[in-house]
Amino acid sequence: MSAETLAWPGSYGGDAKPRVGFFTDTSICIGCKACEVACKEWNRIPESPQGFTGKSYDNTLDLGANTWRHVAFIEQRVPADADGGASLVEAAERGGLVEREGLATSKEGDGVRWLMSSDVCKHCTEAACLEVCPTGALFRTEFGTVVVQEDVCNGCGYCVSACPFGVLDRREGDGRVWKCTLCYDRLKDDREPACAQACPTNSIQFGEVDELRERAEKRLAKLRGDGQSEARLYLADEEDGIGGAGAFFLLLDEPEVYGLPPDPVDSRRHLGAIWAATGAAAAALGAGLVAAVFGGR
Amino acid sequence: MPEPDAHPSLERFVELNGPSNGAWGELSSYMVSLLKAWWGDAATEDNEFCFHNLPRIDGDHSHYATMLKMLDGGVKGFFAVGQNPTVGSANARLQCMALSKLDWLVLRDFSETETAAFWHDSPEIESGDVRTEDIGTEVFFMPAAAYTEKDGNFTNTQRLLQWHHKALEPPGDCRSDLHWIYHLGRRIREKLAGSDDPRDRAILDLTWGYPVHGPHDEPDADAVLREIGGRQADGSFVSGYEELEDDGSTACGSWIHAGIYADGVNQSARKRPHTEQNWVATEWGWAWPKNTRLLYNRASADPEGKPWSERKRYVWWDAEEGRWTGLGDNPDFPPDKEPDYEPGRRDRAMAAIRGDAPFVLHPDGLGWIYAPSGLVDGPLPVHYEPQESPFENRLYAQQQNPTRQVFHRPENPYHPTDGETGAAVFPFVLTTYRLTEHHTAGGMSRTVPYLSELQPELFCEISPQLAQERGLEHGGWATIVSARQAIEARVMVTDRVQSLEVQGRTMHVVGVPYHWGRRGLVTGDSANELLPLALDSNVHISEYKVATCDIRPGRRPRGRDRAALVEEYRRRAGVKV
Repeated sequence: MSAETLAWPGSYGGDAKPRVGFFTDTSICIGCKACEVACKEWNRIPESPQGFTGKSYDNTLDLGANTWRHVAFIEQRVPADADGGASLVEAAERGGLVEREGLATSKEGDGVRWLMSSDVCKHCTEAACLEVCPTGALFRTEFGTVVVQEDVCNGCGYCVSACPFGVLDRREGDGRVWKCTLCYDRLKDDREPACAQACPTNSIQFGEVDELRERAEKRLAKLRGDGQSEARLYLADEEDGIGGAGAFFLLLDEPEVYGLPPDPVDSRRHLGAIWAATGAAAAALGAGLVAAVFGGR
Repeated sequence: MPEPDAHPSLERFVELNGPSNGAWGELSSYMVSLLKAWWGDAATEDNEFCFHNLPRIDGDHSHYATMLKMLDGGVKGFFAVGQNPTVGSANARLQCMALSKLDWLVLRDFSETETAAFWHDSPEIESGDVRTEDIGTEVFFMPAAAYTEKDGNFTNTQRLLQWHHKALEPPGDCRSDLHWIYHLGRRIREKLAGSDDPRDRAILDLTWGYPVHGPHDEPDADAVLREIGGRQADGSFVSGYEELEDDGSTACGSWIHAGIYADGVNQSARKRPHTEQNWVATEWGWAWPKNTRLLYNRASADPEGKPWSERKRYVWWDAEEGRWTGLGDNPDFPPDKEPDYEPGRRDRAMAAIRGDAPFVLHPDGLGWIYAPSGLVDGPLPVHYEPQESPFENRLYAQQQNPTRQVFHRPENPYHPTDGETGAAVFPFVLTTYRLTEHHTAGGMSRTVPYLSELQPELFCEISPQLAQERGLEHGGWATIVSARQAIEARVMVTDRVQSLEVQGRTMHVVGVPYHWGRRGLVTGDSANELLPLALDSNVHISEYKVATCDIRPGRRPRGRDRAALVEEYRRRAGVKV
């Protein structure tokens, strides 16, 4: 059973559905961006042109009110022998093609790796956004996902600063917060989210979180066995700072490489420390005031 | 298509156009069935099944040959249906100039593409080389329906046909291609009605009675598919091309599609999910010929008919049943031909194919590396350098393909090639390609906000070394120059583009996607403005994948200064125009 949340499944009683989410296997992402387009089409998200960014083939840059799926493109130089195999360049050089024939493609023996990864709202088990929302616009659905109700959101923005991933964002000219709903409307119709349906390689897999985690573990073991020593699961662990996520990832390198926080923490976990610090500050301020008022005499 | 002199009769046409052995050995059946589909009862044995109604082809009418003829004033009118040659064809400037020599141009597209707008918005008009008032071409723009707004088939490179159903009516005056062709034909036939001129019989006798429906009299696409799929004389549907006859008893609009309406069912509209059938998925859509998913699949079994590998078995010989069988795919072989079958001396067509020869379209049933017929420049694959190359051909003394088509004319200048004076003026290799986010010349993607924002500008991809050598800044602008034109693009410096060491020299590559033009939501120069016409002699498309170019920092000059820059390069390189 995937980790219980404050509101799911308990508060739904018999209406609770199994918790669903995404397993995004970035090792088979081909960077087609079909997920970005399908998401925008289905959810009728406004266009958000940023112009030519020069960040490889990524002209979307990050998740936001108008981008609920974002494919990152990372170009990495890798040593020729990385991942247990020689690059084409190395192989050609070893074959003596350079000396014998004058035929070679060489660049100091370096190879290039092009990482692609489709990012999305993580639908955290411990979702700070939901807890700080003063209007109840953010809520936990019967599927265990986290959704903003646009007719309730008043645009206060507390959730924006609470999200450890920078997912939540206010829409310009609208003021309210918009993010991935894991296609709540489609789930109610027994259909998978638009991005997962559009993904041609099954890099984005939709399903029950428990089953997806098993699948992810198997895939990780396979990749590790094939020599992908840096491969790892990200946010699949219930012991992590957000209690695991409904949308988790298989990455081929450290999270920072993909622009993801390495150790995200539910900001509410700091509340104790924050209140303690606030108390200390208040005490100091009070002492200062006392000193200011009475010290002069 | 028949030629006027070489093909005086149907019999002679068949004789000259198909080998007598293998599947092509039945060409007369395919031809007669086609003629019966087109001219119905008017096609009889006595009149060679209306063979003489077919238009005669009198020369090379491929795209580039047509555009060159147009440039010389030899083409009066042109239909561009979903085609955008001023962005998508090599030497875009030449394409644009050719269009200005037409009397009339009809375009069918979703939006006013660069080709549709060539008379008022083109690079040549921007630079002042051409003025709208000097263009005499009358342009008719016909708005087209999108695939979601009409019934029909997609065919992909796997030969799979997948039927799509109309989801909504096309907006405004937009109509399907089928609507346009059908009603154009109908109106022409109405104008000719009552004519006793023999030449009009070819149009008046056509089977043109397609049912129409809906508010706009949309022809029934399913009826067209039935005609393509083929019928027996009694109206029942054929299940494959072997059933076609040359006695006029069968009618079939396309022999390779024979059977697409087998059993009276639109086979291409089948959508059984993959979860309800095995991985061959023969009940999803329909593949030509005869729903064959893997062509020549008899090759998956050894000469004795046993699978080469049990694990990879696909089609094999069932000796007990005396039939080819398999995982569900159509065995692409005569169903009961034994593996050890040997043809007799007099056997022809499929009977002349041995039981262990899977490639049934070849007269010997074998796969060919050595191709003694069918290609202009066979029989073996060889390596030639492209028309414009910075290197000599190390494999053969022959530098370029001797059968390539080149056009030495002022609108199509070539660069000096390796070893010739001036070659160093265009020192880099230029290659063009596509991006996932855009569709060909952009008419279907640069008009869509969600796709346009994903690849909003033309860019060029270069190595860090080239960037350093030429002072090009990542994210800045570059001007890429050939003897045809100069274009500008944003600069993407990337390790993905590697400099090559070839023949002891460092060679830099400039990569440019080709999707942009002046219309749509995202605009930019067209990569095809840079490329020359140099064609392969078999298929009459570009014989090269690369040309040569120069690249320099900054945006290109505007107005007449653009042509002046190109002219300066031509002069320095000694390019003759």
